[in-house]
Amino acid sequence: MKPLLRTAIAALAAAVAFSSFAQDRVVRIGVLMPISGPGSYFGVMDKEGIELALEHFKNGVNGYKLQVQYEDSACSPLQATNTAKRILDQFKPHVVIGEECSDASLAIAPILNEAKVVQLNVGSVTMKLTESGYKYTFRIFPNAEQQSLPLAQVAYKTLNARTAVVLHEKTNAGNDNAEGFKKPFEAMGGKVLATIDFGRDVNDFTAIATRIASLGKVDVLPTFALEGQQVRLSQALAQAKVVKGGGGTAVQMGSIWLPYGYDQKAGEASQGYVRIVQFDPTEKRKVVQDFVSAFKAKYGADKVPTHINAHAYDAILLIAEAVRRGGHDSESIRDQFSKMKGFEVTTGTISFDAKGQTSDLSVVHFVETQKDLSWKALNWQ
Amino acid sequence: MNDLVALVVQQSLNGVYLGCLYVMVALGLTLIYGVLNQINFAHADFVTVGAFAAFFTVTRFATKALGLPDAGAYLLSLIVALGVGALLGLAVNAAVFAPLRRGDELRPLIATIGVSVLLENFQLWLFGPIPYQFDSPFSRETIRVGRIFFSAQSVLVVTVSALAISALYLFMRFTFLGKALRAVAQDRETAGLMGINPNLLIGLTIVIASALAGMAGALLGPVLVLTPFAGASVIVKAFAIVIIGGFGNMQGTILAGILVGIIEAFTVQYLGSGLIDLVVFVLLLAMLVVRPTGLIAERKEENV
Repeated sequence: MKPLLRTAIAALAAAVAFSSFAQDRVVRIGVLMPISGPGSYFGVMDKEGIELALEHFKNGVNGYKLQVQYEDSACSPLQATNTAKRILDQFKPHVVIGEECSDASLAIAPILNEAKVVQLNVGSVTMKLTESGYKYTFRIFPNAEQQSLPLAQVAYKTLNARTAVVLHEKTNAGNDNAEGFKKPFEAMGGKVLATIDFGRDVNDFTAIATRIASLGKVDVLPTFALEGQQVRLSQALAQAKVVKGGGGTAVQMGSIWLPYGYDQKAGEASQGYVRIVQFDPTEKRKVVQDFVSAFKAKYGADKVPTHINAHAYDAILLIAEAVRRGGHDSESIRDQFSKMKGFEVTTGTISFDAKGQTSDLSVVHFVETQKDLSWKALNWQ
Repeated sequence: MNDLVALVVQQSLNGVYLGCLYVMVALGLTLIYGVLNQINFAHADFVTVGAFAAFFTVTRFATKALGLPDAGAYLLSLIVALGVGALLGLAVNAAVFAPLRRGDELRPLIATIGVSVLLENFQLWLFGPIPYQFDSPFSRETIRVGRIFFSAQSVLVVTVSALAISALYLFMRFTFLGKALRAVAQDRETAGLMGINPNLLIGLTIVIASALAGMAGALLGPVLVLTPFAGASVIVKAFAIVIIGGFGNMQGTILAGILVGIIEAFTVQYLGSGLIDLVVFVLLLAMLVVRPTGLIAERKEENV
């Protein structure tokens, strides 16, 4: 064999070897989120958060490149199932971030666990996700109980509420949040006058507000629905003079579901609305302010990140941290997640319990909407 | 007024308001079916286009460029949405429906699904998926009569619906074009032999139906969660109303729309809002079994 040919073959072999080595030094992250359909605003905000976080890791982590593939799972159990199977088959991810909607998250959990691929959930509330014994499922979003129990305690003990009407969308997430409020509230001695559920296609809430107005004195109205419906619901309740924002006495209460900016959209109807927030863009922690600055620099000075942006951003920080600590495939990333304690991100400090649920809720706190529609932080936790 | 009477009156008013919104959406559907014997699956997207047209008229044009007060801007947006709906109908008819009408009857039907997907995704690309906050100045005004309350928006919706229905009725009954349109609905071929151009009249029907959808969007905008998928949340109910009313029958559609609105309001009060769809669709099935021709059964040629 001529020396030139030998050199060429050796160079080719080296290139192939290097190439396969380079391919191996990749942590593949699948992202299943709604890009189409009514929940697609989740997908847009998720992608903004993820893209921003990836910029911090352009040069890789611990020698590993973070490679992301986005897929549209449409907040739909059926589409999420098909998408999960396809991404497992074609992209072979080590971690899958998703889904946002509880019903879709529950649908993909068994598929990902069967394939032994880590599921990192950032936005679903249903209890079942981390209560079903899945070993590869982790969640950084507070579950229904974690969100609803503080609401019930504050309603009864701090606001001295004795009657409540629970409002929720007719989904796994809505049902779980509603139950999470009702049980402890009734156990403390409160009375739930009515539980009113509604589909996501309900637009006009005047009839519901009228019914609530006919129920007598209502102290609190815990509400679990997406932002668009909550805005309309608050306005209808104000019109019926039920809530403080309309001159009534009842306090509407909400959970982390509501993104920053809800108050401005609902207008004066939101005055007196009490809710828990996990991500507060005005919080002074450095990680929060760095994130807000970087977000505004990338997406525009007038854009304030929401908790959806923040959770997606945190998911990448968390995966990068697992890789930095030695994770490089599904098993080792799962091990690192299991051992993760006190890792600080924008939405708090992540410590997973044995079920894969974030357990440190130190930054979750109450806020109340003021007359100028700003938040007032309440020291109620 | 005792509690029960006040409650019944209040929920009845809520139902009439909701019913009028449904009627505005369903009228275009029933008009197209009455004349073309065709279902328009893209109707929801015409409603959404109307809602966005109204939103941008109010927020970007009428208040900023023309300096109109909020109420004037919103009223102008109703007319703009009507016009945008009409233009969209004209364009879609010329580009899609008219060329396909010559062949198989199924093709225009399938084309409406294609138009729906196209419009939905075009709006998603153009406006993004994050909900827009569309508030009418009339929504902020609450009128209270004793213990009864309603928003100025609901008065506007009922008034505009009544005007639109009356105008459509007068057009159909007393104008040459309206009579020609009814002739086309009755027998397209014979109408053609009488010197009427059926294609022109069919185009006109689509334009009128689309204009109504556009205006319905402007009225619904301050009620809906405004996204590119907004119209889809009312269209299933609108289809049910059209069937309950008697497919293609305008009077039946109006009656069914108001009835469904009132039934919904009382379902919320006494059975629970989670059962709204169940009640409405049980009513639909019962109607199909007991009275398949709909609430008002007439000969088809009398429908439009």
